[in-house]
Amino acid sequence: MANSELKNQIRRLRFDNGEMTQQQLADKVGVTRQTIIAIEAGKYAPSLPLAFRIARTFSVPIETVFHYEDTDAGASRQ
Amino acid sequence: MNRAQKISLTLVITFSLGLLLGIAAIVMRRFDVGVWKVAVAFAVAIAGSGGIISLFFFRKDKDAITHDERDKLIEKNAHLAGFGAVYLYVILMSFLPIGILGEEASIPVTWCPGLLIGAGFCQAFAQSLAILIQYGRGGERGK
Repeated sequence: MANSELKNQIRRLRFDNGEMTQQQLADKVGVTRQTIIAIEAGKYAPSLPLAFRIARTFSVPIETVFHYEDTDAGASRQ
Repeated sequence: MNRAQKISLTLVITFSLGLLLGIAAIVMRRFDVGVWKVAVAFAVAIAGSGGIISLFFFRKDKDAITHDERDKLIEKNAHLAGFGAVYLYVILMSFLPIGILGEEASIPVTWCPGLLIGAGFCQAFAQSLAILIQYGRGGERGK
């Protein structure tokens, strides 16, 4: 089975959106700050509704926030 | 560190201390040194103190959002770990007396409630450990 990784641009998007803090983002999407930290660090893959809420907060498509990388294949799919 | 982590950490520490003292009591009884019943009493008191500390000292978090999908997933996995640990405990406790005492031996029926209490401790310990492992270290880093 291939190793897969869900990469995200949340950190960059937060700073592009008026240096939004993790707490502010957490409050907007309805999760705890710990969860935002875990998602940013790639330690937790959010549910689809949460991923959409995060994308909606930044007013960008979900593909801009998250992209899936198949590390075994050696090529990233964006 | 959220409330679940604080409670889990307290339980893991107190249960570990209780377990160590319990082992010490068994060794003391085996080699007939000291007052082993005092060690047992301390072991039970320390292990039991975790629940009391958690009940009185760790109040609910005051943040607007204290529980989300990740916490639910962690809780679910921790419950599974606790259930698995109890299952292993029951298997171990079913066969261990035969292995230690032999097939012809008998055990007092007063051990049975003790085994039930042990299962409770085992479940809480495994669940707390699973919560701590899943949350991991450094959960509060970053801004």
